[in-house]
Amino acid sequence: MQPTDLNANSFSRYPPQAKALAVNNLPILRRVPLSLLPLILGQIINYDWRFPAEQRDLTRQLRYLGALSSASFTDLMAPFAAVELPPEISEIDWVNQPKIFGAQLSAFLWSVNQIDNYHGAAQQYQQHLQDAVSPESPAIPRLAIVVIGQGVAQADLPIFRRLRPHGVLFTSVNPENGLPTLLGVVKTRAQQHPENYAHWYIDGGEPEAAFRSMPGVAISSYGVLAPAIVRELNLTNQYVAQTSRSGTAGPESTTAYVASITPEDLKLNRDPRDPVLEHFEADMLTEGAGTQIFSTTYVQWASRECLHRAQPVTLLARFKPRQRAATMNQLMSRDPSSQPADAEGSLVDADMAAYYTWINQNRLPGADQSRFLAWFEGHNFVVAIGPSFAQGTTADAPTNIKQILDWM
Amino acid sequence: MDRLRQIAHQRAISRRDFLRAAVVAGAGSQLLSFAPLRAAIAAPAKKVVVVTFGGGARDEETFAPEGQENIPQLMNQLIPQATFCTQVVNRGILGHYVATASLATGVYETFNNFAKVAPKNPTVFEYYRKALGRPADDAWVIAPSNGFNLIGQSSGGTFAPGYGAQVILPKHLLAAALGPSAADMNGLDYFLQDNYENPLYVPPSVNQDLQLSRLDEILHLSVDDFTRHAKILSSADELSVYVMRQLMREVSPSLIWITLHDMDVAHSGAYSLYLEGIRRTDRLCGEIWNIIESEPEYKDRTTMFILPDFGRDSDFDASGNGFQHHRTGDPLSRTTWLMALGPNVRQNVTVDRPLESLDLVPTLGALMGFATPLAQGKPIGELI
Repeated sequence: MQPTDLNANSFSRYPPQAKALAVNNLPILRRVPLSLLPLILGQIINYDWRFPAEQRDLTRQLRYLGALSSASFTDLMAPFAAVELPPEISEIDWVNQPKIFGAQLSAFLWSVNQIDNYHGAAQQYQQHLQDAVSPESPAIPRLAIVVIGQGVAQADLPIFRRLRPHGVLFTSVNPENGLPTLLGVVKTRAQQHPENYAHWYIDGGEPEAAFRSMPGVAISSYGVLAPAIVRELNLTNQYVAQTSRSGTAGPESTTAYVASITPEDLKLNRDPRDPVLEHFEADMLTEGAGTQIFSTTYVQWASRECLHRAQPVTLLARFKPRQRAATMNQLMSRDPSSQPADAEGSLVDADMAAYYTWINQNRLPGADQSRFLAWFEGHNFVVAIGPSFAQGTTADAPTNIKQILDWM
Repeated sequence: MDRLRQIAHQRAISRRDFLRAAVVAGAGSQLLSFAPLRAAIAAPAKKVVVVTFGGGARDEETFAPEGQENIPQLMNQLIPQATFCTQVVNRGILGHYVATASLATGVYETFNNFAKVAPKNPTVFEYYRKALGRPADDAWVIAPSNGFNLIGQSSGGTFAPGYGAQVILPKHLLAAALGPSAADMNGLDYFLQDNYENPLYVPPSVNQDLQLSRLDEILHLSVDDFTRHAKILSSADELSVYVMRQLMREVSPSLIWITLHDMDVAHSGAYSLYLEGIRRTDRLCGEIWNIIESEPEYKDRTTMFILPDFGRDSDFDASGNGFQHHRTGDPLSRTTWLMALGPNVRQNVTVDRPLESLDLVPTLGALMGFATPLAQGKPIGELI
């Protein structure tokens, strides 16, 4: 099947909003080369469970493509049109299984040494859209807060080494009431600027008791997800055992199986229900590497994806000690929340993750006005980055977290 | 975005500078002033040990200023004795098996990384054994995961059928030693971890008789000795080095290829475990050199090459997630380094010009005296 063969019936298995979006944009979709189209369909097919920012971006992207002149459209698509796909890839049911198509396309491009060209074309395409459809700046400056190091009495590493050059390192911060103060800011911002999925709290364990529910704040926690994680691990183990017996076991089939696990399979039934967040959490657990077994990886990846997809104005990511390392088989067969923890290793993981969170925040519109704060929990170290902070400086005078937030 | 691009650009342009600086710091004073060849006074090198990292390591965690604390053996023990190539580019598929196979053939292999297939093009082992008429036990591969089982002999069939290397998978030895009741592993299942891109280890169908006969007849180890020693080790790579040492003592092959894999735990997203893997690999590289220097069959006759198969993704490529994977194909994930040391190698020298990872096989051929007609790289003149 080729893109030109698409018709309204092609999308009969799509959820309602996704189907409507695809049908409404059928003339555009039919003109997109096959090497790109399933990647766009991969966004459309999940439209019903996408965050508002993603829905907005996708709609604008399609509107822009529809408004392009024929010559401009052809120019923009030329690098993708030049990719010749073998029959085994073009014959995949790419309308309904765009993920599988994407994986096969990637493997093919690597094998013919075209991955770099394709990667370059994709980046150019994204940049073109970004330049043409100027992204909206946030209503208020973004604020990302990362809390690391719970359970570590003393750090052996130079804390926040990668972040220090970009802001002020405060070395005499009174840690008292640090966490309630930071979470209080999240709560207040959500009250003052209510918007769906614009304010987030991600925790590596159970959410802090007094902040388990905050109106307008999307909360995702590794601790609450623990039963779903155990379910996922069980399903994966069953699949591997089954395919081992039939001789069809392999990394690719296992990865594809895990990616096909749904929020319903994991029983991600929030109260009240929140299908958008449930799908997000299922994506984190089924598409992220290591997110199931290490809470630090979950918080890092969820923060990255939350920033990338939901484009929040407020994010607080709190890392807690992950379980100790073991063999993958052990890690994949035991409840991660009831194992001995590795607090020191988790501090190293989270220190790097704080840096990645800052990088990911900087990829969003309005980055020049963004504020970032990372705190070594229970200790005196905070790094603060933002327009009002000099880069690469240290402040040794006694202060507290509220004061630093006020300076932001 | 602009700020990020600027930071990324600064990292890229300084890469070569800090690698060179690292070598200067490690080497003392002789950067770019060629040291006299030790070969003039030593016996000609006749043996080669190739150590690859099947895990990808980035500059940030190795030779960049902030990474040097992770590689004290490379920095302080090995680099002062080595020629160090600062810019080795891998333009092939960035999967560990296919990339290692490409290193071993000198051609970018294009098979599926997870497929159970042999390299299509002749391997360095075939070139070596056929050209020099060497016996089957003179070329060995010690590899970490089941997928590497077929790396010793190409599938082409026309060049040198039957001239491949023997491949030893330490975890197969251990699985055989533990026997079918491997449920009682006493913690040894650590070594059976296959690879970090496959979420679950599926026990291989090990030919127990073959593996046990290898233990007994080649390595001259009893099952008890082997399992007892395995218990005092802490990783699959340590087990590989232990097997390598035994192989060197008992068989003394002239061409040994060992792939270390511990650092690929980075795929789990735990930065601390990735760093631990690098530190362990660094220590093992020092140990391998010490083994070479302490074994009479190898001392002063052996050239050791160390190189990662490729790097890992940059922190600044939005399509990746930094150190965790090697999927973007960005310059950082494609560019790495190579170190060579031994009697025929100039000490304390850096090579800054761009090389390709495919250059390894022709370089080995030039060094050991055999042709590599189907390999696509070029001999690295500074190493021969």
